Amino acid sequence: MLKSLLIVDDSPVARMIIKKCLPLDHGLQIYEAGNGKEGVERYHEHNPDLTLMDLTMPIMDGFEALACIRAADPDAVIIVSTADIQEKVIQRVQDLGALYTMKKPPSKKALEEALQRGAEAFKQVQK
Amino acid sequence: MSTLAEQIFSSDEKDILQEVMNIAFGQATAELAEVIDIFVILSVPYIRVIKGSDLPGYLLKEMDGSPVVNLIEQNFIGKFSGQALLIFPSGAEKELIKLFNQENEAEAYGVDIDTLERETLIEVGNILIGACIGKITELLKDFVTYDPPRLLIQDLSKSTPSQFPIDKDSFAISIRTVFRFEQQNVEGYLFLITRQHSVQWLKKALQTFLESFM
Amino acid sequence: MIFAQIFDTINNGLLVIDREMTVKYWNRWMAMHSGISVEKIVGTSLFSHFPELDRPNFRRNCKSVFQFGNFCYFSQRLHKYIFPMQAQGSLADTFDYMQQSCSIGPLRNQNNEIEMLYISIQDVTEVVSYQKKLISMNNTDMLTGVYNRNYMESHLSKEIERCRRYDHTMSLLMIDVDLFKTINDSYGHPCGDYALKTICERILANIRKSDSLIRYGGDEFCIIMPETTGKDAYRVAEIVRRSICDRPFTFGGDTFSTTISVGVAAYNRDNDDVESMLKKADDALYCAKQSGRNSVT
Repeated sequence: MLKSLLIVDDSPVARMIIKKCLPLDHGLQIYEAGNGKEGVERYHEHNPDLTLMDLTMPIMDGFEALACIRAADPDAVIIVSTADIQEKVIQRVQDLGALYTMKKPPSKKALEEALQRGAEAFKQVQK
Repeated sequence: MSTLAEQIFSSDEKDILQEVMNIAFGQATAELAEVIDIFVILSVPYIRVIKGSDLPGYLLKEMDGSPVVNLIEQNFIGKFSGQALLIFPSGAEKELIKLFNQENEAEAYGVDIDTLERETLIEVGNILIGACIGKITELLKDFVTYDPPRLLIQDLSKSTPSQFPIDKDSFAISIRTVFRFEQQNVEGYLFLITRQHSVQWLKKALQTFLESFM
Repeated sequence: MIFAQIFDTINNGLLVIDREMTVKYWNRWMAMHSGISVEKIVGTSLFSHFPELDRPNFRRNCKSVFQFGNFCYFSQRLHKYIFPMQAQGSLADTFDYMQQSCSIGPLRNQNNEIEMLYISIQDVTEVVSYQKKLISMNNTDMLTGVYNRNYMESHLSKEIERCRRYDHTMSLLMIDVDLFKTINDSYGHPCGDYALKTICERILANIRKSDSLIRYGGDEFCIIMPETTGKDAYRVAEIVRRSICDRPFTFGGDTFSTTISVGVAAYNRDNDDVESMLKKADDALYCAKQSGRNSVT
C-alpha cells in the first residue's frame, strides 16, 4: 500500500481535481508543489512513494524535474499527467524514467489505475 | 491578469479558466500532431482581459514589433461565441506551403503562387483555429459553428480600433498561445476574443466543469 | 419529413459519409450532376467512385472535422473543384469541370459524438466565369487584344522574381513604331488603328506562346521573353523587325509601309530589377532610333 503522494502542478485547480478524483478511502499523506523546482525540493524533503507530475510549468518544467528527481533517486516512481499526449512526448518522458503517462483531465478510474500501478512499481523497488 | 479581469472573474474562476485552457490547448497539440502529421508545440495559454479599444495596440505589442502580418480571422457562434485571430508574421506562408505539401494542390489545378500562399494560410488557419476552439468547447460541453475564415494582410501599427470588429466599449477575453512547427520553425499567435455576452455562460460552464469531478 | 425533402430538392450537392469514407446519403443533385445513382453509391466507399479525392489535403480536412468538429472550407481559388463533374450549359465549353465551392461539417449522434460528416457542393462556375472575364478585361488592351500596361507591371516583377529565385534568364524587348504619327496624319485614325492591330498580329506570329506581348503606350510595345538570353532575344527582334518592314500594309484603297525600332535588354541577376530592366530596354530603343530607325539595338 502507498502511504504518500506528491502532486506537482502549477494549476491549483488541476491539483484539486486530482485530489477529488482519488478514492475516498485513499488514506494517503498528500504533498503539493506549484512548479518543477518546488517539486524537486518537496520530493527530497518527504521522499513520497508516488509522484504525479505535470509537464508545462513555469520556472522548471516537468521534463526537467522528472530528470532531476530520477538522477538523484533512480527508484523514484513518477507518473506524468498531461493533456498533450503526442507520441513524441510519451516517448520522451518514458526515456526520462516515468512509469507511464496519464491523460488530462483525469477521472476517478484513471486515478485508481495510477494508485494501483504506482503501488506495484513501488513494491518492485522496495524488494 | 489586470484589474479589469478581477472585476469579471473571481480568483477561483480565473484558476479554472486557466486550467481548462491548459488542458484544451494540450489536447489540441496532441491531436493536431495526429491530424496534420506534423509535430506542433503550443505554448501555455496566456489569458488577459482587455478593453475593446485597447485591442489593436495590445496585438501590436504582443507581435514584438513586426507590424505587417497575415491575419486570419474567423468567427464562431455557440454559447461560447467570439472571434479567433491567428497571426503569422509575413513570410510564414512560404514555410507553411512546404510544411503542408500544398505544392501538389497548386500543381494539380494550375494556380499561381500568390493564390497558393493566400489559400494555404486560410486552410491551415482553419484547422489550427478549429482544433483549439473545438477542444475548449468540448471540455465546456458546447458546440460551435464557424464562419469561413478570412485573410487580411494588415499593418497593425496603422490599424485603428474601428477596423477590428469588436465594440470598442466592450471588453475582450484574450487567450494567446504561440504555435511552433518543429520542422520549419514557423511561429504563429492565436488570440481568441470573446465578448461580454459569453461571460455569464462561461462562468457557469467553468463551474460545471469543476463539478464534474466531484 | 420536411428536412428529407429539403435534402433532395435543394439546389446544392449534399452527401454524408462516415469515418470509413462510406457514403451514407447522396442527394438528387449529386445523382444528377455526377451521373451516379443513389442505389449505386450508398453503402460503398466514396474513393472507389472518386479516386482523385484520395489525397493528403482532402483526407486531412476530413480528419480535422471528425477530430475537432470544426468546418472545412475548400478554397475555390485553390482547388477549383472537388468532385469532377461536367459544367452546365454554355459554360461546358470554357470549363473542363464545374467550378465548385465546397465545405465539410460534422454530424453528431445522440451522445454528441461525431459519427459522420456532410459535404456540401455549390456550383459557382458562372461566378468564376465572370471573374475570369473581369481579370482578362483588366489585363487586355481593347484595341489590339494583346496585354496592357496594367498586366505588364505585375507580370514583369513576377518574372524577375522568378529569375532571381531559380537563377533563370529572361529578356525584355521594347518596340516603337517609326513615325507612327505620319500614318495617322496621312491616312486617318482608323488606318492607324489597323496598322497597330496588324503589327501585333505579325509580332505574335513570330514569338513563342510563353512570351507576352504588351501594348505599353500609344505606339509602343514590349515583349517579355522568359528563359531567353540576350543573344536569342536579339535574333527574335531581328525577325520581328523584318516581318514589319518586308511587307506593305493595305487599308481601304491605301498601301503603305512602316518600320519599327527595337531595344533589347537581357536580365542580369546581379543588379537588375523592374526599373533597371525597363531603363535598359528604353535606352537601347533610343539608340536604335538614333541610328536611323528600322533597326535593333
